[in-house]
Amino acid sequence: MNWLSDNVNQLALLGAAAILILTIGVAAKYFKQIKEGKSEGELKEENWDGIGEYKNNSPIGWSLAFIGTIIWGVWYWLVGYPLNAYSQIGEYNEEVKSYQAKFESKWANPSKEDLLGMGEGVFLVQCSPCHGIDATGIEGKAQDLTRRFVSKSQVLDVIKRGSAALGNPNGQLGYQLGMMPPGLLSGADAEAVATYVANGFKGNNKGAELFQSACASCHGPDGRGMNGMAPNLREYDDPIISHVLQHGKQGIIGIMPSFKGRLTKVQERAVAAYIRSLSE
Amino acid sequence: MFGWLERNPFFFAVGVFVVIAFAGLIEIVPDFAQQSRPVAGAKPYDLLRLAGRQVYIKDSCNACHSQLIRPFKIETDRYGMYSLNGEYAYDRPFLWGSKRTGPDLHRVGNYRTSDWHANHMWDPTSVVPGSIMPAYKHMFTNVTDLETAYAEALTVKKVFNVPYDKDIDGDGKIDVPLGSFEEAKQRALQDALKIAQETKRKDLVEMVKAGKIPEIVALIAYLNGLK
Repeated sequence: MNWLSDNVNQLALLGAAAILILTIGVAAKYFKQIKEGKSEGELKEENWDGIGEYKNNSPIGWSLAFIGTIIWGVWYWLVGYPLNAYSQIGEYNEEVKSYQAKFESKWANPSKEDLLGMGEGVFLVQCSPCHGIDATGIEGKAQDLTRRFVSKSQVLDVIKRGSAALGNPNGQLGYQLGMMPPGLLSGADAEAVATYVANGFKGNNKGAELFQSACASCHGPDGRGMNGMAPNLREYDDPIISHVLQHGKQGIIGIMPSFKGRLTKVQERAVAAYIRSLSE
Repeated sequence: MFGWLERNPFFFAVGVFVVIAFAGLIEIVPDFAQQSRPVAGAKPYDLLRLAGRQVYIKDSCNACHSQLIRPFKIETDRYGMYSLNGEYAYDRPFLWGSKRTGPDLHRVGNYRTSDWHANHMWDPTSVVPGSIMPAYKHMFTNVTDLETAYAEALTVKKVFNVPYDKDIDGDGKIDVPLGSFEEAKQRALQDALKIAQETKRKDLVEMVKAGKIPEIVALIAYLNGLK
């Protein structure tokens, strides 16, 4: 009888006994009524083909439930539904808010491995359809992100047309130093600088010299953009990735749409870290 | 009082229907009337986009692609802002779709470009390895049926009062001009030329310059407009 020490089992047993007793009692009552009961009471005035109906007061419990429902209905109509209505958008907003809070606290200080992992995930979903899974730009269909400049012609285009060559919006990417004017160099000078820059700042002494005189005042003597004042020409640093994601870009390859509002700051940093890791 | 109703089953049924329908009417109709209005900034499709929409329907893009972003974070992260009822105000019929074999397309214009669509429709696996979408090469040679698209635009303009040739946003300019078929066709050809050039395919540019719009160009115009 070990199982009787469990109080749920005791309750279940008591309940079963109560149901049994009540069932027998009620059944006995009705059997008695069928055997001995006689019709009594006052008939209503209406009758249908000689079949009449007794006047019966509605049961108290039923009446209370009916009146209660009416009161509840008025409350629900005026207060319950208008003030407590379920909103799918409201639930969505709360879901997003709580997720963002969790995301921010979890990734407040991401390690380099965290950033690379997150960056790869974001890249595969958001960037790979155009830049390719290996980020090489699918045979020239988009920028090859494993290199800072794909070709000399890309640099030349920007020298010739200024930052208007980047197209978007109003020809700039929102850097502090503003827009790059068109035609800072031309002819052989432009060629030399373009070769120098596209080669990764190697060789071409004439290009190196010209770069210092024509480009370094904004892009810095090392071409790294002076900590985000102007685009970094050596590598994809955090500011340039962030600026391009915010503003989109229109280069000689084609149009890149803006991803404004689609990635968080941490995700942007992660994408930048992942892209940098590709060219290392 | 209700003895009369009990003797007339037909009117009793009518009474029951009215009582039950009342709750639905007051909850559904006012909200529906408001929600189905065009959202601010919604504009009807111009001729080229409408033609592209007909291509979209003809080739059953909606069998695999939905156009309805639900308000879940997993969806808005990937596709953008959730869809609103009023955005479909000029869709006849709407193309919500019922199944996603491919991704949702309701805001595809925000994150894909003309050249990407052309590459993708010519050979899907060239840009999305492992894609099971079939190639749609016939769209690059089939000529868009502008006449039918114009007929649809004119019909919805006259029958449903869709605001073609009207100033919708109140800036004093006509937002979506339609005009006569010749005017609309010239406008469609100009838009088509821009898109054909963006795809960087000479065959498409030449077709448009010869006055024929390939179906792919109309379709890309439609997809670029989904924002």
